[in-house]
Amino acid sequence: MIKRCLLLIMLCLLAAAASRAQGLFESAQEEPDKSTNRGIEFNGFARGSAFGGSESYDYSSVFGEFCLQGKFSHANAYLYSDLRFRGGINFDEEYVEFQLREVYAGYNSDKFDLFLGNQIITWGRADGFNPTNNITPNDYFFLTSDMDDQKLSNFMLRMKYRFSSVIDIELIGIPVYSSSVYRFDLFDLGEGVSFGEAVLPEKSFGNGSVATRLNFEFSKIGFSVSWFSGYDPFYGFNVDSVDFATGEPVITNTATPYQKNTIGADFTLPVNSWILRGEAAYNITTGYEQNMHVPNPDIAYVFGLEHDFWGVTTILQYVGKYTLDFTKLQMPVLSDSFDPLAQMQYAVEMIKYESTLFNRKMFYQQEETNHAIVLLLSKAIAYDTWNIELGGYYNITSEELMIRPKLTWRISDAIAASIGGSYMSGPDKSIFDYSAPVLSGTFIELKASF
Amino acid sequence: MKIISLLLTAVLLATTANVSSQSAREISDKASDQIDFKAMEMTLTLKIYDAKGRERIRKITTASKKFGEINKTIMKITAPADVKGTAVLIYDQKNKADDMWIYMPALRKTRRILSSEKGKSFMSSEFTNADMSKPNMDDFEYKILSSETYNDHLCWQIETGCKNEDIEDENGYSKKIVWIEKGTYLCFKIEFYDFEGELFKIQYMEQYKKQSNAKYFAFYMKMENIENGRESIMTIDKFQIGSNLNESIFAPAMLDK
Repeated sequence: MIKRCLLLIMLCLLAAAASRAQGLFESAQEEPDKSTNRGIEFNGFARGSAFGGSESYDYSSVFGEFCLQGKFSHANAYLYSDLRFRGGINFDEEYVEFQLREVYAGYNSDKFDLFLGNQIITWGRADGFNPTNNITPNDYFFLTSDMDDQKLSNFMLRMKYRFSSVIDIELIGIPVYSSSVYRFDLFDLGEGVSFGEAVLPEKSFGNGSVATRLNFEFSKIGFSVSWFSGYDPFYGFNVDSVDFATGEPVITNTATPYQKNTIGADFTLPVNSWILRGEAAYNITTGYEQNMHVPNPDIAYVFGLEHDFWGVTTILQYVGKYTLDFTKLQMPVLSDSFDPLAQMQYAVEMIKYESTLFNRKMFYQQEETNHAIVLLLSKAIAYDTWNIELGGYYNITSEELMIRPKLTWRISDAIAASIGGSYMSGPDKSIFDYSAPVLSGTFIELKASF
Repeated sequence: MKIISLLLTAVLLATTANVSSQSAREISDKASDQIDFKAMEMTLTLKIYDAKGRERIRKITTASKKFGEINKTIMKITAPADVKGTAVLIYDQKNKADDMWIYMPALRKTRRILSSEKGKSFMSSEFTNADMSKPNMDDFEYKILSSETYNDHLCWQIETGCKNEDIEDENGYSKKIVWIEKGTYLCFKIEFYDFEGELFKIQYMEQYKKQSNAKYFAFYMKMENIENGRESIMTIDKFQIGSNLNESIFAPAMLDK
């Protein structure tokens, strides 16, 4: 299949017509190489970023980074690259790395695009919480001033066809699974809990993912319907082994991805000076009765309102989830405290109970319905020289809270400084309770763009 | 038509008709009625100076074309680097709020946004979104104040006042005084007065160039803010009347290209 796709791209590139006559608008966006009349662009930035001051780490993420973004276009051929060189400290570990954040090439035209390579896709019209976006993995532990830095690319074949100026369809094929990054090994989950190597799907066609999205963008309303089938980048955990050799059980968990089908839809509806947004996804899974790492089927939904109050852009969202086929977990009971066999049985059941509960918390399925509220405020002042942002999330069901203020100062056209913080809290043994000592903290960043 | 119309508010049309008997409204209408660029493409540089003279530069490429009753404008920022690639699409329809979409490269998605209030700053400059639009002539009352020579141009001084507070709020000023050259109907200077009737901004238009369709276009505009000492200068780097772009380019799905 890949070979066929590669061949198709090559044919497209070879078949690309000679340069089209460009108008001022199109030509002005490119910096042509005068000798070849090819559009070549280089941009990028350098930044220093420090995130720290958490309970567990003084320096959670401290690094210097150089980014080089290159774009080349000629006739219908197109390539894009975003290369990162980074070095610093990540949770007490020093590192130097080179990252191909995005690199892709292909055919590009007004009607049809076809790209192959490492790409980042963001589907969904809601803000921050996108149940229809099951394609892009995230590194939740890459801490910077901008949460979009956490998005990771997938190697994929992406096609987009525009039927008209208001209707387009996107088809995506991901041959190799890429997972999100969690560092639960950094959490204090109690003694005797460790994390083994992830059980990733075999690299085969059958384990690839496919997705499609039909998008409509009318003047009065914009909406889309989508479908995803494949492994969710947001995986669950299985108990790999329990060792009783030392008397106390030593549990080894392993990250284990699961397959699902998702049918999604979203919309944006402007009403006078308000914008209504909504997004919903029906997630279909199988084998969840036997496997704790597989969530139950559920319906996830987001409804939001956007309005400008005295110059403050205000977004209020409700984030909900309804878990299908839900059954309450029953806490094991020790039948006979003097019977060693019963004690052993109880310990095993308790480990299963706690691990299943942990997975449910991650999937927001600890109750049949889950309700959360998100508030995003943003205000530019002094002619956009300063920008103040405040993000708040409160999960009514689990009583977890996150607050994230941020202040950005655009010192000049090329230099910007950001300062802010992230505060998380939650009840004992909640995900935010485990996260807070690691992910709460303050950040500062200085960035120069070119 | 936003940006374009900014440069067109100043405009135009040379005429040798006898103008002595015209009313203020007729003079203003005549200039405004000549603004009829159905399609155009251009690149421009916007220089913004704060009170201490510190400079910020925005470079924009834009295209505008009318499809049916809708003026569609697409703007792409080409500098500075941190916002390069940001694109805005505006559907401007009569008697209806504008439809607007924005694409920000960092977010990698096109978002529907609230159409900005006309009185708000345009790209952090002293120009406002209202300055970018062809005004609704019926929203104002007109009065000839006097004749005056401004930079060797014999001009009418015409006071253009907002009819009510809603229109004031929408445009960001209570009235303006416009210098329109007799004979050519070119506008060279506009004074803006705030809601208390105090002068707070002055706009200057220069470097009019005659286009192939016999109309004129101002290639240099300056807006001085008297109250805060800021200044913004807009210069047209390249200009093209007409556009070969088809309607599919003026679509939200194309903003990321």
